[in-house]
Amino acid sequence: MAKKKDKSAGKSSKQGKKSGGLSFFAILVMAVLLFMVALPTFITLVVGLLPSVLAFFFDRHRGRYLVRCVFGLNFSGVAPYVMELWRDGGQSMAMATHQLLDPMTMTIMYGAAGLGWLMYLAMPPIVANVLNLTAQRRTVELREQQRDLIKVWGENLISEIEKGSR
Amino acid sequence: MADNAKMQPDDAQSGLEVGLDGDMSGDGQEDQIAPSPETAPPRGAGNKHIDIGNFRVFPDLRLPEFDCGPSQAYVAEGIKRDDGPIFALLTDPSLPTRSELLRVLSGVRVSGQLDLLDYEIVYWPPLDRSTIVCFYTKPGGSKVFVDGGKKAVIDEHDLPVAVIVPVINILTILSDKNLAHRNLRADNLFFADEQRSSVVVGDCVSCPPGFAQPLVYEPIDRMTAEAAGRGGGALSDDLYALGITIAALGIGHTPLSKFSDKEIVEMKLARGSFQTLAAHEKLPLTLIEPIRGLLCDDFEERWGLSELNNWLDGRRVKPVQGNSDRRAARAQNVGGRDYYTARGLANGIANNWAASLAPLRDGVVEVWLRRGLNDAERSKAMSEAMRQMAWSGSDKRTAEDVLVSRGIAILDPNGPVRHKTFSAMLDGLGYMLSYDVQHGRGAQAFSEIVVRDLPTFWFSRISGFRPEIQSQQQVYKGLRYYMQQQSMGYGYERCLYALVKNQHCLSPLVENEYVIHIAQLLPALEKIASVTPHSNWPVDRHIAAFIAVRLQDDTEPQLTALQNPGDEVEFSRSIISLLALVQWRHGPDSLPHLGLWVARLMEPATKVFHNKERREKVEREIPRLAKRGNLVELYNLINDEKERRLDQDEFIAAVEEYSAADSEVFDLESSGAARLILAEQIGRQVASFASTMIALLTVSALFMMTVW
Repeated sequence: MAKKKDKSAGKSSKQGKKSGGLSFFAILVMAVLLFMVALPTFITLVVGLLPSVLAFFFDRHRGRYLVRCVFGLNFSGVAPYVMELWRDGGQSMAMATHQLLDPMTMTIMYGAAGLGWLMYLAMPPIVANVLNLTAQRRTVELREQQRDLIKVWGENLISEIEKGSR
Repeated sequence: MADNAKMQPDDAQSGLEVGLDGDMSGDGQEDQIAPSPETAPPRGAGNKHIDIGNFRVFPDLRLPEFDCGPSQAYVAEGIKRDDGPIFALLTDPSLPTRSELLRVLSGVRVSGQLDLLDYEIVYWPPLDRSTIVCFYTKPGGSKVFVDGGKKAVIDEHDLPVAVIVPVINILTILSDKNLAHRNLRADNLFFADEQRSSVVVGDCVSCPPGFAQPLVYEPIDRMTAEAAGRGGGALSDDLYALGITIAALGIGHTPLSKFSDKEIVEMKLARGSFQTLAAHEKLPLTLIEPIRGLLCDDFEERWGLSELNNWLDGRRVKPVQGNSDRRAARAQNVGGRDYYTARGLANGIANNWAASLAPLRDGVVEVWLRRGLNDAERSKAMSEAMRQMAWSGSDKRTAEDVLVSRGIAILDPNGPVRHKTFSAMLDGLGYMLSYDVQHGRGAQAFSEIVVRDLPTFWFSRISGFRPEIQSQQQVYKGLRYYMQQQSMGYGYERCLYALVKNQHCLSPLVENEYVIHIAQLLPALEKIASVTPHSNWPVDRHIAAFIAVRLQDDTEPQLTALQNPGDEVEFSRSIISLLALVQWRHGPDSLPHLGLWVARLMEPATKVFHNKERREKVEREIPRLAKRGNLVELYNLINDEKERRLDQDEFIAAVEEYSAADSEVFDLESSGAARLILAEQIGRQVASFASTMIALLTVSALFMMTVW
């Protein structure tokens, strides 16, 4: 039985690696295609999404939440410039170079990625506080409920519970 | 033993502390003349009287000639109707009366017996307690016999008609009801009329059977029992007493009166009753035949009523052997004395308890039975008793005592149960217990006898059919169980009330009220409650046992609950239940003082309800119901089955709810670290989700802006 479990666990990890490898391969294919079809966009994306790429390599945690956080906001910062490149610049290298050399553009792209990273850092304490507050409120509610029971049933209730626990 | 019986009147007199009336003191036993039966009670100023039902008793006016054993006679008169000359017989409250005879003889005119008009339980001021007073019609003539005379009071030729015929009549009536008089003796006979043509027998109900009899009147098998333990006996015992009575009337004094009780016992055992009498008294020749027949020591060979009637009719009656005890070829020595008969040896062993163990344990008595007495059956029984002692285990001393007691049973199976200093007939164990308990000797001896199951052994040794013993056997079956239980409602108290029907309740609370019937109990407690406040429950061991025996209802559930005084809720509920049951069955309807007494102590019983509101409601109701004095309502208040079940169900639900809340709080308080881990995971998920959503929204917005 245990062996079976080990086997199935091994299988799933292999499958995970396979799917991870597959998606990485898909990204690579798309990057090559993009490089061949729209080089300015490719350059903008590569430079703009550099924090996400770094996060991808550094975040080895299960679920890769850091990557998701950074990538989400990083992409939101890069997306307007890619759209501008397509809409106004006609996919020219000059436009792409101009955008990438503009400090404002880089600030927005990397700033958004930074916000994503900040969100990744800030959200767990916020959730912990919320959970703690909820637990405290529940404890108060339960204590109140117990006080009400003692009011109705007297100290007998406690002694009966103590008797039962002995 | 007889010393004891003889001493009783003196003891009782001193206890009463009632001064003898000057006029009456002269009519005592000294000059053998009773006062005129027509003498009316003195009506002079200052004569105190007590009205009891239809009768008026004068406690200052004694009638010693009508005293019977410890019971004292007083002048009395009828109030509402003319019952003729009567006297009141005040019973000793520390001795039980005979309930069956009271029931049979009360209000019934029986030829040959003094008429018992009525009996009442009454508070007697000189004793400062209640007791039974019996009202008898005064006999038409004087007392027949006063001890110490030199010549016969009745001519020996008149004696059959004047004495034997009326006595046969009363004995026939009593034996038809499986009862025995057991107080038949020469000095308890009265002339029925002034012509002295016939006699009536005096009181027989006021004290335990045979208690007032001098030892000489007791048959050989009962004489070694203590006075209080001589037992109810049977017709044959009355006939033996009749034999001695005839002898006493014939010779003018109590036979063998010059000998001590011990000497009488030894002489009777050695030679037989008739031979002893014949050797020491000059018996009238005409009366020798009935005396010999009636004093036969074998109760199966003893003359019965038919033989006596045949003799009265002048017919020939079969001769009887005076002493049928088998005599051994060689003597058995115990305590320095030689014994030749089994019965004599049994008495010797009983009188030399410690010294008798060795010959019994070493098989000397067994060998004597086999070789000396040639009695293989008893020898076998003795060796079996010895073998059982060997198996007894660690409690060797008790086993040795049991061996001695069993040895006596084997040697004298028809004699009294003897164990160390205790000696009582099987049918007198209850009276003996009552006497011991009320005279400071305690119930230890009785307890040992019952716990060691000695009565059962005795029953197994009795030969021949004796109906009075058969009925007793049924009663004893439950006694051992009662003794083995330690809780209230059991123990020797239960045995006492089960064995003695007329035993009054000996609880210190109501002892002075002389509670015999269960219906008297609550009024007595009410009276006590009205005088002094009590901090203890109105039910103690005696009252619980008294209720358990006298109440016809099943009280086992209540008594079972009383086994655990630590559980004060169940304990108090059971006590209230017992009292309520008695009130429900026997009333009275209102017992306000007892109600308040119970209410003060029933706080633990209100704990039967867990709900505070319900309990407070009950506590508010208790004083109201207590004032009404209805214990049944009080009990119902705490024992509303529907309300109790509801309360119990709700309480269980509340306990579960409380426990669940407790464990949830514990979980919440102890899961801080786990919650942080969870918060980190959720936080990251939330952050990634939010980030993804922002990206999607941004791209969608840009796309829309581009398209439109």
